[in-house]
Amino acid sequence: MNPALRAAATGMMAQQTRTEVIANNLANVNTAGFKRSRAQFEDLLYQTIQGQQVLGGTEAETLPAIQVGRGTRLSGVQRMHEQGPIEQTGRNLDVAIEGEGFYQVQLPNGELGYTRDGSFQISDQGVLVTNSGYAVQPPVRIPPDSSELTISVTGVVSVRRGNDLMPTEVGRIEIARFANPSGLLNLGQNMLAPTTASGQPIVGFPNDEGMGRLQQGSLEGSNVQIVQEMVEMIAAQRAYEINSKSIKTADEMGQIANNIVS
Amino acid sequence: MPGPVQTNGMSSAAAALQMLERRQAVLANNLANASTRGFKGEMAFSRIMGNALAATDTAVDLTQGTLTQTHNPFDLAVEGDGFFVVNTPNGERFVRNGSFSLNANRQLVDGKGNAVMGENGPITIPNGRVDIDAAGQIQINGKPLTMLRVERVASGADLQHEGGTMFVPDASRQSIPAGERKVQQGFLEESNVNAMSAMTDMLSVLHRYQAAQKTLTTIDTVRGIAVTDLAKPV
Repeated sequence: MNPALRAAATGMMAQQTRTEVIANNLANVNTAGFKRSRAQFEDLLYQTIQGQQVLGGTEAETLPAIQVGRGTRLSGVQRMHEQGPIEQTGRNLDVAIEGEGFYQVQLPNGELGYTRDGSFQISDQGVLVTNSGYAVQPPVRIPPDSSELTISVTGVVSVRRGNDLMPTEVGRIEIARFANPSGLLNLGQNMLAPTTASGQPIVGFPNDEGMGRLQQGSLEGSNVQIVQEMVEMIAAQRAYEINSKSIKTADEMGQIANNIVS
Repeated sequence: MPGPVQTNGMSSAAAALQMLERRQAVLANNLANASTRGFKGEMAFSRIMGNALAATDTAVDLTQGTLTQTHNPFDLAVEGDGFFVVNTPNGERFVRNGSFSLNANRQLVDGKGNAVMGENGPITIPNGRVDIDAAGQIQINGKPLTMLRVERVASGADLQHEGGTMFVPDASRQSIPAGERKVQQGFLEESNVNAMSAMTDMLSVLHRYQAAQKTLTTIDTVRGIAVTDLAKPV
C-alpha cells in the first residue's frame, strides 16, 4: 500500500485520540480535584531508502541519507498536576489542598488510594470518609456528641464535645506526595493508585516541608481551562481534516497511475 | 562511477512519477506529525541524475517551531539552535521535544523514561522550587544544581531522524557555549510543520503527477503511431 496513505491514516488516528482526551477533560470541567491530561505524540521509525553516499571525484561530496517517515503515534497521555482553583464552599467538611499532596483513603480491596478531592462526609460509624464512602487513612473518628468541627492548615481535626468550651483534638489528616505524580494510575472516582513510575508515597502532615496546606471550607476545582481545550479541539479537528486530504491526494495519484494504461 | 545514464522520455516520466510519490509520502508524514511536539519536518528535493532522471533526496528542516506556554516547570524548549541530549539504550540522542518529567527516583527523564543528560550525567532533582535559566542551568531554591547539556551539529552536517522525535547526531556534535543558549522553562516547541504550505505542496505534487502521467501516455501514443501508421504500406 502507498506509504502516504498509511502515514495519513496514523495522523487521523492520532487526532482522534487527542479529541478523546480533550473530551474527557471538558467532561470533567466541574469535577473537584480533577487534573487535566494531554496527549503526546511521536513520529514513527523512518525508512532509510538510501544511506549516506560519498560521491567520487576530486572533492569528495557526501549526499545525505534519504529517509521517509511512516507517520505518527500516541506516545503517552500525561496528567498535568497543576494546582486547580481553590473555590470557597463554606461547608466545614470541604477541605482543599493548596500545594503538593494527596489524601490517603482505604479502598474496598484493602489497598490505599490517593485523591485530591476533599469533599468529605461523616459515615454512620462516625468516620471521616470521601464522597464515595472510602475512609480517610489514618482514620479520623468524630464522636457523636461533637459540634463545630475544624480542620487546621496542618491537618489537625478538632471538635467541641458536649458542653465543653475548649475544642478537643480527635485526629490528624495525613497527606502523601509522590516524586512523579503523573505516573499515578487513574482508577476513576477521582482516585489514583501508586505505580512503579510514580514512586513510593512520602507521607507527612500538611504544611510540612514540600507538602501542601489544607484549607477548610474550600474545594479544589478542576484544573481544566475551557478556552485552552477548545483551541486544542479546533486544532485537532483541522489536523484531522488535513490528514484526510493527504489520503485523498494519495488516492487521486493512484487513480492517475491506473489511467496510464487505459 | 557509473556511466552516463541513458534516458528516454518514457523513463524520465516514470522517474518523475516515482519521485512525486515519494514527495507525497514525505508530505503525508509531515502532516501526520503536525501536532507532534518537537517534530521537525522532512524536506524532499529532486536532483537531476544523468540527463533527465529525477531522484529525491530528503533532509531535516530545522526551522523553529512555535513555542507554547504550559507553565509546567519540566517543560523545556530551545529557542534557536540546539538540542537537549537524552541517553537511550541505543546511545545518546538529540531531542527538541522537552516535555520532561521526574521518574520514581526523581531523575529528570523524557516521555519514554530516557535520562536527560546534564554536564555530570543524569540529573536527580531534589525537593524545592526548580528554576531553569536561558543557559540551561538548573537551580533548586535559587542554588545552582547542574547545567543541562545543549548541543548542536556543525552546519551542513547530517542529522538523521530516528522516530520518537529523536535525532542521531554525527561526529561533528559540540556543546553550545552557555552565552548562546536560549532555553525556555515552561514552554514546549510545537511541530514546525506548516500545514498551509504542505497543503499547497501536495496540490502541486498532484498536478505534476498528472502532467507526468500525460507525458507518459503521450509518448506512448506517439510511439503507437510510429509503429502502426509508419509501417503501413502505401
